[in-house]
Amino acid sequence: MRGADYVIKRTAFAVITVFVAVTINFALFRLAPGSAISNLSRVPHATQELREALKREFGLDKSKGAQYAIYLKQLAHGNLGVSFENQQPVSHNLWEALKNTLPMVLLGTVFAIVFGTLTGVIAAWRRGTALEGATVTTALGFYSMPTHWLGLMLVILFTGVLPTGGMANDFLINPSFWTHLKDVLSHMVLPSLTLGLVLYGEYTLIVRSAMLETLGEDYILTARAKGLKPWAIVRKHALRNAMLPIATLVALSLGYIVAGAILIETVFSWPGIGRAVYDAVLQRDYPMLQGAFLLLTISVVFFNLVADLLYFKLDPRITT
Amino acid sequence: MSVNGNRQLLEVEDLVVQYAVARGLIGAVRRTPRQSVHAVDGVTLSVRAGELLALVGESGCGKTTTAQAVLRLVDAVSGTIRFEGREITRLGARSLRPLRRRMQIVYQDPYESLDPRLRVQATVEEPLLIHGLGGSKAERTERVRAALARVELSPPELFLDRFPHELSGGQRQRVAIAAGLVLEPRLLVADEPVSMLDVSVRAGVLHLLNGLRESGLGILMITHDLSTAARFADRIAVMYLGRIVEEGAAREIVRNPQHPYTKALLSVVPRRDPRDRMRPQILSGETPDAVRIPSGCRFHPRCPVAIEECRDHDPLLRRPHKAETPEHRAACILA
Repeated sequence: MRGADYVIKRTAFAVITVFVAVTINFALFRLAPGSAISNLSRVPHATQELREALKREFGLDKSKGAQYAIYLKQLAHGNLGVSFENQQPVSHNLWEALKNTLPMVLLGTVFAIVFGTLTGVIAAWRRGTALEGATVTTALGFYSMPTHWLGLMLVILFTGVLPTGGMANDFLINPSFWTHLKDVLSHMVLPSLTLGLVLYGEYTLIVRSAMLETLGEDYILTARAKGLKPWAIVRKHALRNAMLPIATLVALSLGYIVAGAILIETVFSWPGIGRAVYDAVLQRDYPMLQGAFLLLTISVVFFNLVADLLYFKLDPRITT
Repeated sequence: MSVNGNRQLLEVEDLVVQYAVARGLIGAVRRTPRQSVHAVDGVTLSVRAGELLALVGESGCGKTTTAQAVLRLVDAVSGTIRFEGREITRLGARSLRPLRRRMQIVYQDPYESLDPRLRVQATVEEPLLIHGLGGSKAERTERVRAALARVELSPPELFLDRFPHELSGGQRQRVAIAAGLVLEPRLLVADEPVSMLDVSVRAGVLHLLNGLRESGLGILMITHDLSTAARFADRIAVMYLGRIVEEGAAREIVRNPQHPYTKALLSVVPRRDPRDRMRPQILSGETPDAVRIPSGCRFHPRCPVAIEECRDHDPLLRRPHKAETPEHRAACILA
């Protein structure tokens, strides 16, 4: 029963957080200088009537309060509005972008989780050796590199070897499914690697410190005294207990990945969420920005919730 | 008791354990010689089956290191450790593993020595699985129950499915002991088994250990509490700065201490009779740094009766003049 309580409480909290974020999102963009039609006013033949007409069309002539009410009402119906830029529903735009972002981000994250956990565990287990020093230095190096800089370096290094921009070769005409897949995958390598390497550094450090903490516990020594083999100690006792902080931090960082992809997607011209946000900012495309930020907010809040629920699952102490 | 009731279960000779002190970057650049902590500096002791030896001393004197070195959880620099007559000082991890079954340890802090994610059943069952004992699942459960009953956690059914955080300190310590006992070891090393427990449950755990000793288990109990040692131990060894300074039958050590350090420790143990005036002898200063051990007798800087000779003469353990039992040994030139 307490378990259900916990889940309900956490979920309610997440919903409230999203609502607050929606409100802030709404207010934030309207505080920014300039408006959707300020660019249009630079068009030489734009008359006052045309501007007024555009204002009306976009609903910008109504009061801020009325705009907010309309926004909330439409949001409740799942309507994120229509992009100022291409007159398509925002939800459609976002979905198209998300479809491109997810595989790239996922590939990088899986790479980081697998290798980060592996080297983190090894670094902790071989504490004080040169191996640990090398691992930690490498991880720290990648973690502290600015994402876009690392991306640019990879572009310089791999130009001519791998595609460095876009998501598919536009000059392939009617490719077969396999050719297309191969093409997209080869385009995906560099952006995924950039994300993967930065996250790899972070995960290695997190896993190592979490492991060091649990390896210092008395029950590890107890397990040794009972004759458990070293690797079994790592697996059964150390890693399982270290999973608590690791799972939380990984879940939390997953929430930010979608947002973090902005830099990578800009460097590699990847047509995903990050690029969509970047373009929408340049164009003052409010509905698109609001939609994108809502998506980012929801992903952060959602993964926070996942972290909370994971904690609940992993830590027997939370139930009581 | 069994046929080999009087055989030595554990014999430790001249055990030395040192830890390297990190030099730091400046030290490494200047190439200052590497220093080491002489945690254990020539300890000789033995435990017989069915005997409880109490190793007594202040914090930082090397008691815990001794306990861990005896079980080969830390490596000795020199000296020998014999368990059931077999030398184990240099045994590799692989050949040591089957022996671990017969020597177990209980830690000071039951809040840390149990894996918080394992239920009592899993904690106590794990040693059986490690050593491939206990056959079927049902038989193992039976042995787990028996072990829990042996540490007076009854009825066992009430505890099997609990997590450590649902138990009290005393119950946790009993679970830790049960996890040690389920393998039916010959030697149990108890590292301050009651110091983290409430006074009210201490006696229970100590009586439990006492009962186990009577059933033939050899126990090496590490403690800083001389009164506990005096009450439960067969023999007491007093440790100071990595070395045993006095040892003998518990009664003899308490009634007729010969080393000034033992005398000082005993002088602060409260007397049962309030009319018994105690003259507590508070030792000045702290235990010296185990990196720079004083010359001569290592106790001389704090010793109330030290003479000039103590500065450069390192006394060996020998039978004091006023000893009343043959086994009594003290390391003091004045004794």
